[in-house]
Amino acid sequence: MGRRRRRRRVDPADAARALPEAIAALSQTLPAGPSPETFRRAKFDRPEAAPALWRLLFRVLSPQLADGASASFSPEAQVRSVKLALRTQGYPRRALAQLPDDGSQGGRELLLALAWLLARGPLPERLLTQNRVQLGDEMPVCECEALASPGPPAPSVEADGCVDIRHLQWLMGKLRFRWRNLMASQQEQCALLGKIHSYTRGCHSDRSLGHLSVTETELLRDPEGGRQLLRRLERENARLQAALEWRRRELVFWRWMDTVLGACPPEASQPTFLPRIPTPGTGALEPLVRELQALQGELREAVEARRAAWEAGVGGRGPQWSAARTALREAVGQDLAALRQACERGGGCSLAQPHGPHRLVRTEAGVPGGPGLRAPEVIEALRSQEARLEVVLRQLQGQCRQELARLVGAPPGPVWILPPGR
Amino acid sequence: MDTAFTLLAGSSRRLVAELRDALDSCAERQRQLERSLRVSRRLLRAWEPAETLAPEPTPGPETNEEAPSAACIPSPQDLKELELLTQALEKAVRVRKGISKAGEGNKAPSLKSGSIATSPATRASYPPSTSHRAGSRASETEPPRGILQTRVPTKDLPERRLLSVGDQACMGQGAGATKPKSGLRNEQIVLSAASQAPEAFTLKDKGILLQLPEAFRKAASRNSRLWAQLSSTQTSDSVDAATTAKTQFLQKMQTTSGWPGPRLSATEVEAEVRHLQKACLLLRLRMGEELTADPKDWMQEYRCLLTLEELQAIVGQCLHRLRELCTVVEQQLGPWPEGRFPRASLPCGGGADPIWSPQLLLYSSTQELQTLAALRLRVAMLHQQIHLEKVLMAELLPLVSKQEPLGPPWLALCRAVHSLLCEGGQRFLTILREDKPAD
Repeated sequence: MGRRRRRRRVDPADAARALPEAIAALSQTLPAGPSPETFRRAKFDRPEAAPALWRLLFRVLSPQLADGASASFSPEAQVRSVKLALRTQGYPRRALAQLPDDGSQGGRELLLALAWLLARGPLPERLLTQNRVQLGDEMPVCECEALASPGPPAPSVEADGCVDIRHLQWLMGKLRFRWRNLMASQQEQCALLGKIHSYTRGCHSDRSLGHLSVTETELLRDPEGGRQLLRRLERENARLQAALEWRRRELVFWRWMDTVLGACPPEASQPTFLPRIPTPGTGALEPLVRELQALQGELREAVEARRAAWEAGVGGRGPQWSAARTALREAVGQDLAALRQACERGGGCSLAQPHGPHRLVRTEAGVPGGPGLRAPEVIEALRSQEARLEVVLRQLQGQCRQELARLVGAPPGPVWILPPGR
Repeated sequence: MDTAFTLLAGSSRRLVAELRDALDSCAERQRQLERSLRVSRRLLRAWEPAETLAPEPTPGPETNEEAPSAACIPSPQDLKELELLTQALEKAVRVRKGISKAGEGNKAPSLKSGSIATSPATRASYPPSTSHRAGSRASETEPPRGILQTRVPTKDLPERRLLSVGDQACMGQGAGATKPKSGLRNEQIVLSAASQAPEAFTLKDKGILLQLPEAFRKAASRNSRLWAQLSSTQTSDSVDAATTAKTQFLQKMQTTSGWPGPRLSATEVEAEVRHLQKACLLLRLRMGEELTADPKDWMQEYRCLLTLEELQAIVGQCLHRLRELCTVVEQQLGPWPEGRFPRASLPCGGGADPIWSPQLLLYSSTQELQTLAALRLRVAMLHQQIHLEKVLMAELLPLVSKQEPLGPPWLALCRAVHSLLCEGGQRFLTILREDKPAD
């Protein structure tokens, strides 16, 4: 009996502490997080809370900036950048866009914006992943970064007039040269890594790793750098710990945010004009439309040709045929299921491939080794990827050849002698 | 100047921009590689002793060269003594490894301070001598052989005796022999002895003696533990409750805002477009496989046909989706001036935001690693080549088709275009023309 009473007496104090502790965890895991007191002030829309929250949102929305770089942006620039980023992501409330650019107001609205970002995705974890301290020698095993490049490039700085095609040839040559250099440098780096890994075998306290990485060896060579690394590591550990804390306690934060939202006056529903935001205009989507159309055209041709050949050929006929046909259709359906899923909206990567950067670990040949990807498997996957891409490239080049031959026309035009050998 | 060679302004801008983009991304990769190479090369050379607040990230090559090459030539007896000394140190290290784990923790942080304190003393203990000048100056301050020091405990009588023997032998070499100071700690003795060594610390010889400082080890293991925890705690009651609360909050936000808002945000549109670009390439890859496959019997032939039909259907769906996106963009988001998408960082794998967790890639030989890296680069290069090929096709083929006359300038243009589009700019074809014989 007495124990129950005591528990009840303790509860309100616990509840009162839960919110500030949750906010403290949140603010510790985010970069430039303000104090819980600032959050409280923001709920009541106090002006002194606004600058800190603008700064926080700026850091959160532009994580690619290094720690010190955000200081080079003026407060107005930060405010504008935050507004733009939020609108680009589809922030629903107009009030934010109407806040003054000097960053002096808007605590409550900024608080809502932060909560909106937190509700949509694992924000603290994402930020931590992006700015992670890398202790090992890492190599990505997928080509997702390679695929990330297409997109209309920014117009070149010099307003070029017309350009000679020979300039393009020169640029292509320069590109080939750079790739060759890159390959050579990469090979050298791998050789050096191999040496460093084998010279330091047995030195790592973690048996599954066995040897030191470049970063770790470097910290031994340069104690000052090592201390800096250690400090960064400890800071990251603190933020990771805070993120775990936040996960445990965030429910009370969301209850509180409901009250914050309730405290806001409802927005009038007439749509006011909002400044334009950069979006992929339809012009930018044109190349992709053309590409898909081209692909569709090629497929149509191929299908028509083969279907005609099929109809005309002996093919399968008779009662056994329909059963076989159904079986084949199913097989093809299954075969392409992964591809279909990848192409559909929001589908994941079609190949159930490992992704992301992996830490390189050198093992003795023949030793089974612990958990982790094996290099030969990755090499196999890359080889097949390379082969498929080469097929595509040859195909495209073949199309060009045909098209050019058609344009130049049949004889008695000039005779084309193709360069030797392939 | 042949005007036929010249491209239109619009095409020029786009093509040059694409090529410059490709060149820039190559250059960026090269820069990153160069950075890593600098660090790795420096690690494999003899280690330069770290000066206090060493500002230079890349040590001057002259100081490194000095240590091994310009060093004094010690007499054979010194070499033997030094060998003994080194062996004794290594033995002590092996013996101490198991015992003095506790003591080590204190050593690492004190390395720097200890080293700074000893450097003036060491310098002082070496009067400039003619033959040994280069050697002593090169290795005068605390080397990270100090690392070895952390494992040598302060109290070990037999060792000290050995050291002082070696020390005296070394000291005896100096022009003006100075007595070792009575208050010298072991570290100093090791320093003065070791600094006579013609070789500085190299990873190759002494790499296996290295050990990470205790503080770092703790922090690193805590780090990987925390990451593992973070990426694993995905389902539990409190998490579900939080997820519900978040969804409700988002809905309330949407309904209390007066503005209905776009169905899709700009970021989402951009993400979908990238997704469709990836899909387009995957479909093309698959089509390539089917078209180059050689069906051996009618079943395979029919299967190939079905596959191509299925691919056609998928492409149709993708096009449909893309057209929907175009509508969204036109109607709700407003047009955009010519320029680049703000590049959102796509999560790797295209799935939900993955949280990093430590993963390993095991390799067994340098050859294997090089093959792996080379293939990765090759795949990235092929992606770029395919992209450029598509862009070039879109701009150059219309150019050739627009120009009618079959005169020499046009032929030259065709030749150039052919080389770019069909041979990757590497080879050129020859055009034979039949000239009417002059009468």
